[in-house]
Amino acid sequence: MNTFKRLTYPYLIWMSIMIIIPMALILLYAFTKAGNEVATVQFTLENFVHFFTDADFLHTLWLSLRIALITTILCILIGYPIAYAIAGGDEKRRNLYILFITLPMWINMLVRTYAWIGILSDNGLVNSILQWLGIAPQKLLYTDFAVILGMVYNFIPFMILQIESQLAKMDRSLLDAADDLGASAFQRFIKVTLPLSLPGVISGITLVFLPAVSSFVIPKLLGGGGYMLIGNVIENQFITVGEWNFGSAISMVMACIIMISMYVTRKLDKSDDVQGRKRGKA
Amino acid sequence: MRTHKMMRRILLGATFLFFYFPILYMLVFSFNDSRSLTHFDGFSLQWYDKMFHDAGMLEAIYYTLVTAIIATIVATFIGTLTAIGLSKSRRIIREVVSQINNLPIMNPEIVTAVGMMLFYVSIHMEKGFMTMLLAHIAFCIPYVILSVMPKLRSLDDNLAEAAMDLGATPFQAMKKVIVPQLMPGIVSGALIAFTMSFDDFTISYFVTGNGVKNISTLVWTMSKRINPSINALSAIIVLMITITLVMVNLLPIIKEKAEKHHHPLSKRVLQVISLCVVLFLAGGLAWLKNGTKRSMDSSDAIAAFGSDTLKVYNAGQYIDPAINEAFEERYGVKIIYDTFDSNELMYTKLQGGERYDVLVPSDYMIERLIQEDYLQPLDHSLIPNEQLLAPQLQGLAFDPTQSYAIPYFWGTVGIVYNKSQVALADLEKEGYNILKNPKYKGRLYLYDSERDSFMIALKALGYSMNSDAEAQLHEAYEWLRDIMVSMEPEIVTDEVIDAMINGNKDLAVVYSGDAAYIHSQNEEMEYFMPKEGTNLWVDAMVIPKNADNPLLAHAYIDFILAYENSRSNSLYVGYTSSNEEVLEELSAEGGEFAGNAAYLPRSDYELDELFHYNEQARKIMSELWTKAKIAK
Repeated sequence: MNTFKRLTYPYLIWMSIMIIIPMALILLYAFTKAGNEVATVQFTLENFVHFFTDADFLHTLWLSLRIALITTILCILIGYPIAYAIAGGDEKRRNLYILFITLPMWINMLVRTYAWIGILSDNGLVNSILQWLGIAPQKLLYTDFAVILGMVYNFIPFMILQIESQLAKMDRSLLDAADDLGASAFQRFIKVTLPLSLPGVISGITLVFLPAVSSFVIPKLLGGGGYMLIGNVIENQFITVGEWNFGSAISMVMACIIMISMYVTRKLDKSDDVQGRKRGKA
Repeated sequence: MRTHKMMRRILLGATFLFFYFPILYMLVFSFNDSRSLTHFDGFSLQWYDKMFHDAGMLEAIYYTLVTAIIATIVATFIGTLTAIGLSKSRRIIREVVSQINNLPIMNPEIVTAVGMMLFYVSIHMEKGFMTMLLAHIAFCIPYVILSVMPKLRSLDDNLAEAAMDLGATPFQAMKKVIVPQLMPGIVSGALIAFTMSFDDFTISYFVTGNGVKNISTLVWTMSKRINPSINALSAIIVLMITITLVMVNLLPIIKEKAEKHHHPLSKRVLQVISLCVVLFLAGGLAWLKNGTKRSMDSSDAIAAFGSDTLKVYNAGQYIDPAINEAFEERYGVKIIYDTFDSNELMYTKLQGGERYDVLVPSDYMIERLIQEDYLQPLDHSLIPNEQLLAPQLQGLAFDPTQSYAIPYFWGTVGIVYNKSQVALADLEKEGYNILKNPKYKGRLYLYDSERDSFMIALKALGYSMNSDAEAQLHEAYEWLRDIMVSMEPEIVTDEVIDAMINGNKDLAVVYSGDAAYIHSQNEEMEYFMPKEGTNLWVDAMVIPKNADNPLLAHAYIDFILAYENSRSNSLYVGYTSSNEEVLEELSAEGGEFAGNAAYLPRSDYELDELFHYNEQARKIMSELWTKAKIAK
């Protein structure tokens, strides 16, 4: 069996070079001053102080979290009924529907987002329809609405797939038992279906919230050049401003926020599990 | 129960409409006869034609496919081996590796991307195809491991042992016993890897360079202007993806059906099918590769210049592509043409060690490049066309002795206004302060550039635009912030051109060349240079010190300056030519730009200034501009 163990060695080396060193570099840049040669590294907390003492940067962070949160909530509210509807069908239908949901995810995200520009722009399709209906044209593109729409459009499949797989796994006899014990359809849903599908919702939340909070493509395309989320600030620091140290610090802040939120959701998931198991035993 | 079913149908119908409508919309408009993304003006294949003749697009498709295929194969191979190895390793190693593996999956993509970029820069690896491929392999492997691992857990350890007891070597045991059982996991891992790589934007955006683009990064640079070729490109992607998915989904079904009918597909048939697929793919790739190159004899070029490639780095949408083609044909060389969004972006790349033969930066950036010793002096004997330069462009402050730079285009910054909505009298009275006139609230565009925005603010306040007094810069910031908060401006880059031609808003801050183009497309739109003065700018061609091909670079600069090239370039882009004869011809009575106020820059106005390089001021402006945008 030792021969097989050796199979990991190449990847251990690769992993150290291509994953660990880049992360270490972000750390190094985040805690050092600009323009240092490796020989004269000067450690500093300045980059973080700069970020956390500036009301405008904090506001961007807050805005990103808010937009990501709204997106996640919308994905749950819209995605749950869809997942429920899919999971209710027979096996063949389910597979077909799932294929239909995953198919657009295969098409380049930029391209799919770009398509919305034509639909939402000032004299675009939606406004033409509104005009035809006799409603005054609305400003849609380059608004919060457009950004959230773009995010929901891009990320909701993750939510649907997670919830659906959880619902499909569910033991049907539990539902029958609830019926037999005289539960109404609503009670049955609240007491049986919903708790059993929660793990799906929770992994869906991580899969939606994570890309939503860090995206810089959707806000730039659908929010316009002046729309700054935290991802845009990072891109800006690295690509145009050239302040790599400050950019690294913001990247670290974002990575930490994500790690913390993942940890919290996982904890939620675990505590639920334990309760479920306890209930099972009782 | 009935209504229940109905509701389900309606819900699912609406869902699929939401998912597929934008894609359908794009497919329909890829056949549009006009540029419009909103009105269908008849059927046409022109955008497909454009795409198949656009070397840049074909190249992007080629790089995307090659990267995705290589990354998938390598990642699947390494990932599977690693997963098998891990399952036999000690628990602690398994835990550590899977934690580290989780990093690229759990981390926001932009963080991974930034890390890779810093890594490549610190080992001085030149950005390009190799950096992109390595990055793609790196982020694909964890997904493969993740999808193979669960299958290994359910694998019976004794099988491999049994195989080896029966005399199989470990390699045979793996090939004949372990891998076949892992197949479903390996296939799904490979599929994930392929899509991740095929669709990747964020990581590629940070790690490619030197003209290497994949589909995503190309769409990103093109999306600023309305460009229906993007729709044609999307249609092709949809087609490719559909074919792949149909194949992946159909093959098992066919296999199963054949087995049911007791005619299992023979190995021979399967081999033939897979051979066909491979040949088809290889043929497609070869064709794409061919499409990106023009057949030519490059031996002359190597004899005369020592090389047959020239690397040019210019601003986006800033050249008539026919000129590059003509140069390639005439000299038998290939031009690697890369574009940047801003001077700062160009500088960052240069600083990262990238090598170019010709750059086209702006005045202040040239001043900086000279100061920091990035440029080499020009050999004037190799640029005879230098004498054709307009006299206004000789002896400019950033390069007074004309040792380093040859002007390319030049112009001013001003305001484009819709003359049926905005009174010229208002503009003349208020100057830049018209941007604060509540009458035009929500009706204006600002250009997303810290320099130009601060220029306007400083000029409006009566200061020099080269001011580096912090108090004045902060006053300018307050002036800009005030607009952001109270005027609801839209902050744009090049999309302003199409937007103003469509008449979306009444006022816009633009470069004179864009204004000239806007006016030529929509006569309602006039150009105005406020009396407070403006930025007189010059973009010029320079040769970096580390250029691989200075000889060819000189030939290129000379070629650009020639009458016919400068003329077609100016007509195509709309910016003001640096060639005196072209300038006079196009702006004179009967010329293409006659009566177009934006084409001929105002000269000898004492309040107009050239930008000077000042790193301190730039940093302050850059940060304050970010903050002003955030304040919106």
